[in-house]
Amino acid sequence: MPTPLLQISQATVRFGGLTAVDALDLTLGERELVGLIGPNGAGKTTAFNLITGLYAPVSGTVSFAGRPLAGLPPHRIVAAGIARTFQNIRLFGSLSVLDHVRVAGNLHRATAPWQALLRGRAFQENEAAMTRRAEELLALFNLERFRDLPARSLPYGEQRRLEIVRALATRPRLLLLDEPAAGLNPQEKIELVALIQRVHREFDLTLLLVEHSMKVVMGVCQRIAVLDHGKKIAEGPPAAIRRDPAVIEAYLGPDQATALFHH
Amino acid sequence: MRHPFFSLLLALVLGGIVSALSDRIDPYNLDVLIGVGINVVLAVSLNLIAGHTGQFSLGHAGFMAVGAYAAAAVTIFLGPRLLGDAAAPGGLAENALFGGALLAGGLAAAATGLLVGIPSLRLRGDYLALVTLGFGEIIRVLLQNFEPLGGALGLNGIPAYTTVAWVVTAGAATIFTVGCLVRSSYGLGFLAVRDDEIAASAAGLDPARYKVVAFTVGAFFAGIAGGLFGHFKMTITPSGFDFSRSIEIVVMVILGGLGNTIGVVLAAVLLTLLPEFLRPVAEYRLVLYSLLLIGLMLARPQGLFRFRTPRPAPRA
Amino acid sequence: MTEFLQQLVNGLSLGAIYALLALGYTMVYGVLRFINFAHSDVFMVGAFAGLYLAPLAPGGSILGGLLVVSGAMLASALLGVTIERLAYRPLRQAPTLNVLITAIGVSCLLQSAGQLIFGAAPRSFPVIFPARALSVGGLDFSSNQVVVLVSAAALVVGLRLIVFHTRMGAALRAVSQNPRAARLMGIDNDVVIRFTFALGSALAGAGGVLYAVNYPTIDPLMGVLPGLKAFVAAILGGIGSIPGAALGGLLLGLVETFVGGSAYSTYKDAIAFALLILFLLFRPAGLLGKARVEKV
Repeated sequence: MPTPLLQISQATVRFGGLTAVDALDLTLGERELVGLIGPNGAGKTTAFNLITGLYAPVSGTVSFAGRPLAGLPPHRIVAAGIARTFQNIRLFGSLSVLDHVRVAGNLHRATAPWQALLRGRAFQENEAAMTRRAEELLALFNLERFRDLPARSLPYGEQRRLEIVRALATRPRLLLLDEPAAGLNPQEKIELVALIQRVHREFDLTLLLVEHSMKVVMGVCQRIAVLDHGKKIAEGPPAAIRRDPAVIEAYLGPDQATALFHH
Repeated sequence: MRHPFFSLLLALVLGGIVSALSDRIDPYNLDVLIGVGINVVLAVSLNLIAGHTGQFSLGHAGFMAVGAYAAAAVTIFLGPRLLGDAAAPGGLAENALFGGALLAGGLAAAATGLLVGIPSLRLRGDYLALVTLGFGEIIRVLLQNFEPLGGALGLNGIPAYTTVAWVVTAGAATIFTVGCLVRSSYGLGFLAVRDDEIAASAAGLDPARYKVVAFTVGAFFAGIAGGLFGHFKMTITPSGFDFSRSIEIVVMVILGGLGNTIGVVLAAVLLTLLPEFLRPVAEYRLVLYSLLLIGLMLARPQGLFRFRTPRPAPRA
Repeated sequence: MTEFLQQLVNGLSLGAIYALLALGYTMVYGVLRFINFAHSDVFMVGAFAGLYLAPLAPGGSILGGLLVVSGAMLASALLGVTIERLAYRPLRQAPTLNVLITAIGVSCLLQSAGQLIFGAAPRSFPVIFPARALSVGGLDFSSNQVVVLVSAAALVVGLRLIVFHTRMGAALRAVSQNPRAARLMGIDNDVVIRFTFALGSALAGAGGVLYAVNYPTIDPLMGVLPGLKAFVAAILGGIGSIPGAALGGLLLGLVETFVGGSAYSTYKDAIAFALLILFLLFRPAGLLGKARVEKV
């Protein structure tokens, strides 16, 4: 078996007395498209924050492409190839749409910062190339007409898309999407499913998706892991998860479990 | 800024012309002009730290002090040995010495800035403000206790090397450097770190690094301003670089609008000239000044000169 | 040993003043989350109020002294409430930075107005409490130091009673924990904030007079350094914590006095800031504060 791209083993995250993620095991292979679901407070976003280095596990390990991520600050983890979006969109208040993508291209910048003062040919060409690349990415996601607008002024759905573009600009091998469908209307959700599939296909990467909307998760994921109270209670293909009694119980409580079977 | 070198050149030519005419300008006005230029350097350099990078610093006078003392030490203690007796006043050798002294002042301040930048990695908002204030005060107390540099009495007999040309050059270099930095795609990171640190690190930027760079570069230019200041006043004391001096610079940046270079330059000019205009009512000067500050914060919290929407990026 | 005890007494009486000032900073920070830079100048105005009230009260008696302190507390409370109403309330929704700058502006205004009204030169402070040199077991101290310690202790106990045993105190605690939830519970935040400023400023006013009693001259800029140090004390104790502010004040007063009495006395003014930097780096929550985790 080849080295998995991401391997979380027995990872536990605690806040004071609360165990937010409890001995989690999760493995992602190259080019997989996996969903992470669970009721509110199940620890999904905490799992993301664990992978991206915002929280440190009290025990257990996270490794990426065979390399342990312990102790790496968030930006180094991005440099290693893991990008993410946020549940409550986090864009830069004072940057234009294009600059959001340009700034994320810094990881692959070819010139040193002090060259900005000399403004030599290499610097100019590099800047132009970065702008061009940013424009290409924007065009791929139909955002080029907002190029010079402040990101804040974008409609909600476009803000979510811009966050994905910003993440892609770091050229990740693994992309974590934290509730990308939150706040979208049914039409936008359908578009989002298509978008996720396209990103997965065209950018040749692995996707891990936290999502509440069953429609989206069941529609795109090849495999789904279910968290409840920080523990993984089920994992498997969508069809199996849909019928898993433990999952149904976690979502609806023991009484309604039978009701859902007939749904 | 399509041709940044062009504007730099323009500033230098302008400085040259003014200094060539300086014999015919009223010395009082010349002094005011130098004061304006030094404050522009201070305000624009603080703007990189507080405005663009969002690290609210109340210790800028401390960096200025380090630069002023280091530069003065070079000209006072090394100057006579390097120049000998033969050097003509205002000649090339003297100006070269002064350039070296300013550079030394800038570097000493930059090293201090690096040191102060490190706590900023953990702190934000008013806690950071307080720590930078504390650093500024510590620098002052250390200088007061350092007898080789005059202790509490300060350093006297600094040669009057500062000319309008030097001040204009320093001002242009500061604006140019900060401008080029924050307009480059690297420099967008300063703004990103200010707007949202967590999002910035998710975009692959190292917030700690950006903050330290901002502090170091900002302190460098504050140190140069300090060197100019010392060789303009010819005497410096530790108490001249206290907390209220830092506040003065902060007010320029806030008034100009955080992160707005042109606004900050205008505010620095305005606030340096204001006391001159208020000279007839000298007694009430500080009262008016503070009332103005409070009034502005209540009426125009975004700064005096902020009108624009975010700037469009250059077309590729 | 005597030397040590002597310094201990001196340190405690300086620390008591820092503590009184630190309480005001910590309470305002608790409800509004900003450094009220003007607090140190309310302290100064308190001292001057004492100066002008002193001739009206019987001099050199405990009753007269207490009257002067109470008068100064009242004047300071009025000033604090006025500042809050005119300068801070309009900025309730503004970014912290703007409020901070406004506070600096108010501080600058009080200092410069003070220089115009009271004169810039130091003024000597009259004797308002019975002044006697006391000597107990080889320890020399003045009755004023006793007055400072006893009054400060009484004020801190009084504050504790107000904060923990009155309805207004409960509202104050509610607002500092969660202003929005407090509003939903029917608490008028503005009233609580006004009350906080009145209380904190009154303590600063008392601190001003007690400081003047021990350090016989006062001037319009006298508040600057004690104010900064008292805020440092509030952070050392854990910002937002009332016992923390008292503890931090005493601690800072002691450390400063001991350093002041040593070979490093000229570094005395840097001590507070060095402590501040160390604390913020290694124990940002302070001695009695609680650490917070940022939610992502």
